[in-house]
Amino acid sequence: MLLAGGQGSRLYALTAKVAKPNMPFGGKYRIIDFPLSNCANSGIDTVGVLTQYQPLRLNRYVGSGQPWDLDTEDGGVYILPPYQSAGEKGSWFSGTANAIYQNMDFIEMYDPDHVLILSGDHVYKMDYAKMLRAHQEAEAACTIAVIQVSMEEATRFGIMNLGPDGFINEFEEKPAHPKSDLASMGIYIFDWKKLRKYLIEDENDPNSSKDFGKNIIPKMLAGGEKLMPYRFEGYWRDVGTITSLWDANMDMLSNTKLNLFDPQWPIRARSPIRPPHFAGEGARIHHSIVTEGCDIDGKVDNSVLSASVTVGSGAKISYSILMPGAVVEPGAVVEYAIIGENARICAGAHVGTEPDGSESWGVATVGPDVTVGPGVSVPASAMIYDSSEVQS
Amino acid sequence: MTDVHGIVYAYHSSPALGDLTRSRTNASLPFAGRYRLIDFALSSLSNAGVRDVGVIMQRDFQSLLDHVAGGKAWDISRRRGGLKLLPPFGTHHVGEYAGTAEALNAVMGYVKDIPQEHIVLIPADVLCNVDIAALVEQHVKSGCGITAVCTKNNPTAVHYRLTQKADGKVEKVLFHQVGAGEGLAAMEIYVAKKDTLLELLAHCEAENRFHFHKDCLAHYLEQGGEMDVFLYDGYTTRIDSVDDYYRASMDMLKAGPRADLFPTDRPVRTKERSDVSTYYGEDAKVENSLIADGCFIEGTVKNCVLFRGVRVAPGAVLENCIVMQDTVIGEGAALKYIISDKNVEIAPYVTLTGGEKLPLVLPKRSKL
Repeated sequence: MLLAGGQGSRLYALTAKVAKPNMPFGGKYRIIDFPLSNCANSGIDTVGVLTQYQPLRLNRYVGSGQPWDLDTEDGGVYILPPYQSAGEKGSWFSGTANAIYQNMDFIEMYDPDHVLILSGDHVYKMDYAKMLRAHQEAEAACTIAVIQVSMEEATRFGIMNLGPDGFINEFEEKPAHPKSDLASMGIYIFDWKKLRKYLIEDENDPNSSKDFGKNIIPKMLAGGEKLMPYRFEGYWRDVGTITSLWDANMDMLSNTKLNLFDPQWPIRARSPIRPPHFAGEGARIHHSIVTEGCDIDGKVDNSVLSASVTVGSGAKISYSILMPGAVVEPGAVVEYAIIGENARICAGAHVGTEPDGSESWGVATVGPDVTVGPGVSVPASAMIYDSSEVQS
Repeated sequence: MTDVHGIVYAYHSSPALGDLTRSRTNASLPFAGRYRLIDFALSSLSNAGVRDVGVIMQRDFQSLLDHVAGGKAWDISRRRGGLKLLPPFGTHHVGEYAGTAEALNAVMGYVKDIPQEHIVLIPADVLCNVDIAALVEQHVKSGCGITAVCTKNNPTAVHYRLTQKADGKVEKVLFHQVGAGEGLAAMEIYVAKKDTLLELLAHCEAENRFHFHKDCLAHYLEQGGEMDVFLYDGYTTRIDSVDDYYRASMDMLKAGPRADLFPTDRPVRTKERSDVSTYYGEDAKVENSLIADGCFIEGTVKNCVLFRGVRVAPGAVLENCIVMQDTVIGEGAALKYIISDKNVEIAPYVTLTGGEKLPLVLPKRSKL
């Protein structure tokens, strides 16, 4: 069960019209490609995708699940929006646990022994089958994937504290004074019968916020259930903020962080059906990722270009992320910036600046479909939602 | 488009393509970084809404089968109808079909059972992106039994040619293949009424004739049949030799031909491979080149076409080359005017030079 209903509100303009799992990433991918590919590579062939916030483009992207080989006869990928039942008004998913609660009938159709809960906001490669084996061997009620973080970072995560037996004995959400450095990755395997019981119990608790981390896990701990940590070593990033989205994209320029070239664990994506990219006479491309359909005649360094990006002659792109269909006209400069889908940077415009060491400096962001007018300068840290903000 | 059926000729291997078609037919020849020639025919049909397509194959079709599979990439994998692969029935055919009329007669059982009224006939090795919907619309409106797709472009190449009457309909078919001169060049793409086609094929079968031009079209006109002309004005060329292949590949480095073959409203589909985006290294130097996904480029690439998964090590220099998928170019290697087939390995510091008139072909899986 893939939780893909989150807004990603800290991505501001980038997620004003699309859900975070639909965010383009690392050239040809969208964030949801990572959990979907992990499922397919782990041999999981039935996946429910729970959507709520701005689901239309995400629904279209996931489609029949064919790019991930999830279009099987008996199973496959299912989009699960909130719905109405007879005699009820129907309601939005009020929390991660409530989203699963509302789709218990879907899970029951498959009569599973175990349920894997995933989030659609993370970039990583993981074999869920291995995690399931560990879960079965330990006969745990719930297994939670954890990753070691620094003690400073630990204050930003849900932290698992372990007892002397190695099992989880306490869960703290964003603790001010963390006792452990094991952060929850938002990946859970539950014994389905037990989860079902706790979901119903939690649903009837008027004080619960219906969240896995805040409510279900503490309730299971209080109920004396065996909760096992599953240590994950490798690359894992939450891309919930502009800075983390930019950082994680820059990580893709280094093959030592997350090897996307690995044929044993392919990350699959829906292809835009465009010809190979063309590097023209004026193209100078260094230390960058470029995707099919691009047409480049300018300078590009330390950048990530999604499909069908156009870079005009004499334009300069540095340390930036250009999402699908973005156009940078001749002579424009884009540095330390994120340019949204189908945005246009007109001739002579200048987006972003090099880091100046100041506190207020940050990556500049131009939202999807925005046109930055000719000669306009967009300063560092800017967040442009609408073309009217950046016409000369 | 429910009243149209497509038939693609995919059986031919041109001897002049040499090693490039040693283990494949022209139809599955890799082209433009991520395609096979047959993708253009299948995509054109699919883009026009044609859902029932027969592909005539005869031998060396392993690579073609692998590529086309069930037709899913072109949306022609259907519960009823959809893609049908047509190997020869029986064993009485020795050698390659002498002409497309013989090929059609060899799969006559299939042609007879076609439920649609019109049939589009299209060779897999003619590069073009024809608006089949517009072609069929004009054909139906004209009331003619056959419409031929012709071009005024590519005047120097050798083609069968047709001359027109004052009303634009075909006057006669010129039997000799000639270069620029009289008439219009036929691209060997036709749309025909099924009944008309069956009559002409029966004539060929009875008289033991094999050639669509000489034996079907000429006969049709002699009998007083009306044939219309549909003019295609985009880029087109037939791939019949290494020279054709090399020139057409290099034409893909020009914006005009590229836009003609890959218009956004008639996309060319192909079998997907799930490659990662291409990575350019710190010292990569790439210009005037067409580059597919999955490449890892650390050297110099100039005037080249790179297919998916090609690796160019630091210090390697490629100029005017076509490098097919998963080929690895070692450090410091220098290649000029080379066509490297799939999975070739070039060791460090190897130097290979072909010529523009005679590019050097490295067969599949060679190790140098």
